[in-house]
Amino acid sequence: MELINIGIRAIFTENILLAYFLGMCSFLALSKKMSTSFGLGVAVIFVLSITAPVNWILHEYVLREGALAWLDPRMREVDLSFLVFISFIAVIAALVQVVEMAIEKFSSKLYSALGIYLPLITVNCAILGVSLFMVERRLTLAETAVFGVSSGIGWFMAIVSMAAIRWKLRYSNIPSAMRGLGITMLVTGLMAMAFMIFSGISLGH
Amino acid sequence: MKTRGRIRSMFEKGGSLERLWPLLDAAETFLFRLPARTSGGAHIRDAYDLKRMMMIVVLALFPCMAFGTYNVGYQFYASAGIAAGHLDCLIKGLWVVVPLYAVTFAVGGFWEAFFALVRGEEINEGFFVTGTLIPLVMPPTIPLWQLALAVSFGVVLGKELFGGTGMNVFNPALVSRAFLFFAYPKSISGAGVWVLKGDRMVDAVSGATPLHLGIEPVGDIVPYLSSNGFDFWRMFSGLEPGSIGETSVIAILMGAALLLVTRVASWRIMLSVFAGGAAMALLCNAFAPSPASMLALPAHYHFVMGGFAFGAVFMATDPVSAAGTNAGKFIYGFLIGVLAVLVRTLNPAYPEGMMLAILFMNLFSPLIDYMVVRLNMRRRRLRAAG
Repeated sequence: MELINIGIRAIFTENILLAYFLGMCSFLALSKKMSTSFGLGVAVIFVLSITAPVNWILHEYVLREGALAWLDPRMREVDLSFLVFISFIAVIAALVQVVEMAIEKFSSKLYSALGIYLPLITVNCAILGVSLFMVERRLTLAETAVFGVSSGIGWFMAIVSMAAIRWKLRYSNIPSAMRGLGITMLVTGLMAMAFMIFSGISLGH
Repeated sequence: MKTRGRIRSMFEKGGSLERLWPLLDAAETFLFRLPARTSGGAHIRDAYDLKRMMMIVVLALFPCMAFGTYNVGYQFYASAGIAAGHLDCLIKGLWVVVPLYAVTFAVGGFWEAFFALVRGEEINEGFFVTGTLIPLVMPPTIPLWQLALAVSFGVVLGKELFGGTGMNVFNPALVSRAFLFFAYPKSISGAGVWVLKGDRMVDAVSGATPLHLGIEPVGDIVPYLSSNGFDFWRMFSGLEPGSIGETSVIAILMGAALLLVTRVASWRIMLSVFAGGAAMALLCNAFAPSPASMLALPAHYHFVMGGFAFGAVFMATDPVSAAGTNAGKFIYGFLIGVLAVLVRTLNPAYPEGMMLAILFMNLFSPLIDYMVVRLNMRRRRLRAAG
């Protein structure tokens, strides 16, 4: 139940993009075409579902205060949490590279669909955001996995619907100053307002 | 005729008042028949145009407007414990509703004219429907300055910046209401704003809408509602507190009939909103922990409470922000119904979910259309290939 709750919250109530405004740059820049948005969205789900659990393990057994106690009881005092940012980023970048190489080797079809977007995602702040949230909220490994995947799904939903809206707005006579990024920002704000419909919903009470 | 020609020439290209052409154009369309004739291949031999379509919607809203005005007065006198005649109720209601309309049309009309003048376009009728809708979804106690802000937000950010009538993504009337809902929640939510209060209040009157009562029911939900005066037929007829135009299902059905007969609104959307609401309500009934829970409320009660019927008939069917494909309309409407009931039953933060349900689906309607179109293309390609 708690897992479903975390999933629903990450997709709807606390959508990583529309509630925390993370991952905005690629969202704004790459939502012009539906095919691009779709590929990017799938890639984000994919990367999040891998990086979040891996970062959890790293944090739990290496970085957290007292995490190194499993090596030697004397290392109980060691606190490496100041390395959280750099190591999470390194893990994300490295994992994305490895995943990209693996996909290229084993499935050229998937590679041609995701390939170009994977490196882009390394710098998507939603990915780092999810890893940092998982530390802050003290999630367990299973919760982190669910949280990662559903944050990705939430981001996917947002970018795909934005691409559809921009597809519809092709024919709109938008004032020239508002064209492009301006109207996209405005729509993002209104989207976030519409997503407020789910705030307050939580299961299991 | 001569003076009209002279005035016209002042506004035409090269005239001294050239910049104000849209204002003259709007006044002329409103007062006279246009001097311009269609040239070239128009195939519809009927005067059916955007203006007539808009006027039908406004006409369809008249029953709600009239009943809402009466109900504002009725609720006022009922809360004050005064026995008042029908005429008194109507007059009291007019004192409230007329200023709301005056402010809405003044502010909305100003923005409409402003954008037309700056962009050098025609002023069009688009604002008529939005302007007629906005006061009907407001509580009668709304301060006029807040209404003015909300109208500005809805018209400018919800419509004009997208290019004006027919080009927006979200329903501008609902954007206005949602703006108030999040910016000034005290004026538009809670139990205290739905009845106009005088100096004198009868103790027993709470002024809450049935949806607010539904949050924490005592005893089984249906008898609990009716013991508070909200039995099914009273809510159907509409003599209950609520937003001005939303209370009477009878008045809404009259409007719906006109919209459906003239085919201005889509029957697919209307039908599927109710179907979605009914499906979700039945699902909730099946999982209701006790008959006292809001989850146990039967579907037909959902239809007569709050803004469900009003939203289904007048807001969800807005052809600009709704899905455009036929299959898409069914999906769009169905999900609105589902979401509205879902919020009412499962979201403790809001007693009513119709407004946000429609806005939420406005957001996804282009996606639904896109999927429907793509699936259709794929099906036809397969058929052509096979």
